[in-house]
Amino acid sequence: MAVDSIPQQAQEEIEHIESADLVVGILADLDSKGIATLCEDLQTLAGSPRLAVLQNEKGGNATPADSETAEKRAFPFLVSWPLLQPDPAGAPVLNMFSAFQGVYAASDKLGARACCIVASKLENASPRWVCELAKPLLERNIDLVLPRYARHKLEGLMNCSIISPFMRSLYGKRIHNPMGPDVGVSQRLFRKMLGAQRYPRTNGMHPLASLVPAAVSENLQVCEVHVGARIYRPTDWTDISSQIAQVLGPVFLDIERNAVFWQRMRGSAPVPSIGEPVSVSQDTGTLEISRMIESFQLGDRDLQEIWGLVLPPRTLIELRKLSRLPAEQFHMPEDLWARIVYDFALAHRLRTISRDHLLKSMTPLYLAWIASYAQEVIKAGDLAVDETLERLSVAYESSKSYFVSRWRWPDRFNP
Amino acid sequence: MWEQVRQALIQSTLRFLTRFASMLPGLVALILAVLVSILLASILAFVVQQLLIRLRFGERLGQWGFSYPAESSTMRPALIVSRAVAGFVILVGFLIGITAFDAEWTSHLAQSALDYIPNIVGALLVFLAGSIIARYLARSVLIGAVNMNLQYARLLSVGVKWLVIVLALAMALEHLRIAPRVVELAFGILFGGIVFALALAVGLGSKDLVTKSLSGNAKKTTDEVIEDPLRHL
Repeated sequence: MAVDSIPQQAQEEIEHIESADLVVGILADLDSKGIATLCEDLQTLAGSPRLAVLQNEKGGNATPADSETAEKRAFPFLVSWPLLQPDPAGAPVLNMFSAFQGVYAASDKLGARACCIVASKLENASPRWVCELAKPLLERNIDLVLPRYARHKLEGLMNCSIISPFMRSLYGKRIHNPMGPDVGVSQRLFRKMLGAQRYPRTNGMHPLASLVPAAVSENLQVCEVHVGARIYRPTDWTDISSQIAQVLGPVFLDIERNAVFWQRMRGSAPVPSIGEPVSVSQDTGTLEISRMIESFQLGDRDLQEIWGLVLPPRTLIELRKLSRLPAEQFHMPEDLWARIVYDFALAHRLRTISRDHLLKSMTPLYLAWIASYAQEVIKAGDLAVDETLERLSVAYESSKSYFVSRWRWPDRFNP
Repeated sequence: MWEQVRQALIQSTLRFLTRFASMLPGLVALILAVLVSILLASILAFVVQQLLIRLRFGERLGQWGFSYPAESSTMRPALIVSRAVAGFVILVGFLIGITAFDAEWTSHLAQSALDYIPNIVGALLVFLAGSIIARYLARSVLIGAVNMNLQYARLLSVGVKWLVIVLALAMALEHLRIAPRVVELAFGILFGGIVFALALAVGLGSKDLVTKSLSGNAKKTTDEVIEDPLRHL
């Protein structure tokens, strides 16, 4: 099923290559010079592994299979195919997830020991950061290598507000970017991901969201690598609710699959970190917080009938009080936000309402958290960012017992 | 003469009694059918009510957006449905009973009533489907409009809900063949009125946005988005 995601021409080219030790899938928008530099860097890896690079071919067909060209082409082998299809309406995140699946399938077909996926452009990164991602896979038998981006205080908000602390509290690993998107995956792990794709995507393992849970539950080795600052897409305020639904949907589905594992997990531990942190400018520019607070207040006024099906009365009362605070005093407590995320995860499992409606109705609450966080970190300074996010992660961990009891006995409290 | 009068009276009495006697079995059958149907209806209503209570029918109605029956108590929606089932069974029993009369008009009445039942079922299904779709769409519009920061989100949502409900109701009434021309006209006026009201609300509410777009200020808005320092994904 996963091999079907590779176009026929690309499959033929992969068959000509026959085998590779390391497969690198490039989803980022790199020009030919960037790809050439990357290929040169990869050739410096110890042991001279046999390399295959899969390049995203924009809007065109895969390059025709040509065995002579493949042999004569400068090492590593380069295969082009449209990894990223033209974005379906409102589903760019899903598009990327399909590309991950294609890279895993190609790596399996080539019998690779590991694969790396490059999905981001980085600023201030070491030119050989992709090699740094690949090295632990080949030299230290690490199964999952995740990037630790140099963090600007107002970037990666969905990750630092929900995904990272949520996964930390559930799976017990302090991973800063559990959903990459740049990742290094060992053969053991990507075959596990492929093997679990017997079911439609909505029920099976997710090629990105399920990586950390799969690795941790199987007791595989995980590490982080310091890389530069990631260049993020500009915010599209009309699309943010779709992004929340597309990202959180697979995360919440995954916790259903791993419920037995994470309910036993207590506390959290850091994972090995490779490289030196990279510093970035923390200039915030002009930030309009009032719009986000207004959006939250509108949601509090109009979405009570939906939030009332998901959140307990205590949380609704706290949100009502929060909506009445003036902008300068607007602050969402960390434990309140943690409980809200847990309640939505539970409602997702119970299918209290349509899952798409559920996740999209979370948008005003997410914007309220951003407004509160932004106010705090802008006032307090650069060092406060780490402290704030650490407090948030601790709040998630300390509220985990609340989540576990609601998960096991959902009828005990029924809003 | 008095003998003839006595004969006429005796004959008319005999005719009446004969007629009454011929109707008696039918009457007894009718009473029996109704009594049996009441008994069956009571049993069925009890079973249905208990089943719906165990399935938490009232709570599920609330989750699906049917808030009015569910607000009263958990039992109330179940009671309504069980009573509806009981009423239907009694009605069927009554119709069976009156066909026992060997009269053309009673058979015709029962036949017409039984022929009308599929229309009622069809109308109920159409209205139920329409209500469910209306509530789903209303919820979708509400969430979408709130996320787009539209102050009239609730108005839009209610408007969409009532549009779909009115449409479903008109389709259901057409199934029931109740005053079709009146329903068609009334539906057209009501539907058009709701659409017009919504268009006015959206148009007047979005006046500034449209003006900006026409005067070329949309580019400025786009620039503001690019300068926004927040990055989510």
